Amino acid sequence: MSRIIVSVILFSVFLTSNAIAGSDPIKARQHLMEDTRDAAKVVGGMLKGNQPFDADAAMAALNTWKKTATEAGDLFPEGSETGHDTEAKATVWTDRDGFNAEMEKFNVAVDAAIAANPDSLDALKAAAGPVFKSCKGCHEGYRVEKED
Amino acid sequence: MKRLAIALGLMALAAILLLFLTRPSGLSSSDLPVHVQDVSNGELLFHAGGCASCHSSANTDSEPPVLGGGLAMETPFGTFRVPNISPDRGNGIGEWTTLDFVNAMNRGVSPDGRHYYPAFPYASYVRMNLTDLVDLKSYLDTLPVADNPNEAHELKFPWNIRAGIGLWKLVNLDAATVIAVPPENDQLLRGRYLVEGPGHCGECHTPRNLSGGLNIGRWLAGAPNPDGEGKVPNITPDEKGLADWSQGDIEYYLESGLTPDYDTVGGSMVKVQENMARLPEDDRAAIAAYLKAIPPLR
Repeated sequence: MSRIIVSVILFSVFLTSNAIAGSDPIKARQHLMEDTRDAAKVVGGMLKGNQPFDADAAMAALNTWKKTATEAGDLFPEGSETGHDTEAKATVWTDRDGFNAEMEKFNVAVDAAIAANPDSLDALKAAAGPVFKSCKGCHEGYRVEKED
Repeated sequence: MKRLAIALGLMALAAILLLFLTRPSGLSSSDLPVHVQDVSNGELLFHAGGCASCHSSANTDSEPPVLGGGLAMETPFGTFRVPNISPDRGNGIGEWTTLDFVNAMNRGVSPDGRHYYPAFPYASYVRMNLTDLVDLKSYLDTLPVADNPNEAHELKFPWNIRAGIGLWKLVNLDAATVIAVPPENDQLLRGRYLVEGPGHCGECHTPRNLSGGLNIGRWLAGAPNPDGEGKVPNITPDEKGLADWSQGDIEYYLESGLTPDYDTVGGSMVKVQENMARLPEDDRAAIAAYLKAIPPLR
């Protein structure tokens, strides 16, 4: 009997450690989201008038978003549903098609923004608007509501 | 026996008197201002009020909006069904006169003389100008029709007795403004008007008293989430509220949906923000100025 208990415990430890080992994508996607937010700070700071318009800095931010659009989709594998205080909602896995569609909206908006090569504050505003809208769209359905 | 009969008689009389005093009463056509309808001002107020957020037909996001209603609002009192306010003649408000519309918005009274439930936030709209209501009606008249019939509310006893709403109005319906602002400050006046009137921000951001009316002493200090989990945030300039947000931060949030940390707006505020984004810049600035000027509450 006790042998069964011990093996059950050992097996759960094995499962847990596996889950921890498999949780790297959570950290990776959290870092990616932080970079994405930092880029939003650069663009938003200009649009708010806190910083002067800087075409190069804006383009660098757009390229950061492109990196997110390229990499983020692969960072939500099966088995990365929980851990590291992830804010990903279960819907990422239960409605993967919907999630992918939102990510694709982000990708399309970022591509359009880069193609527009914004050379003025107004151009940047027009280019960034749809990107911000796509951030919101995905967070709405696929991120847990935060308490504050 | 005789005493009992007298007592019962007096109680019946008191009840009748109370029903009489709290009966639905509306404005008459002579109360309406002489005013040339301004459809574009009506559209502005439509967005300020976020009418589409509740009244749009289910799963439609069309432009212009189709206001067939049908949304089920789950509340502790039961389920309210949002009505069709498209200009359909049979099932919408296409047959309504401007006076009918003004009485609904300003008095919570239907064209056939019944009280509306305050799930329809006329306790805020009571602060709207009559000229603005005339304009809003003229804009609604331009929208596409939806011919779906209205569904009945499913309310628990005693909330299913409409006559009781008269009593609620006696306690909670007040056209007075909530916050005093300097009368020469046009921006604050405009911000107050938008927040306390059409924007009906207090309906979610202010907690309610036992009667289901707003607790004015806790104006915009945050409240339980009517949708269920969590809280609606405190938006007074307290540390627990928007103290860290500059006026520009609030304006930009309403415009873009981005917080000062560059996080995105969430929950039921998403639709509100998207409506606010359609207001003129000056109006968002006025709202932000007002929110920085109200008393901080914890």
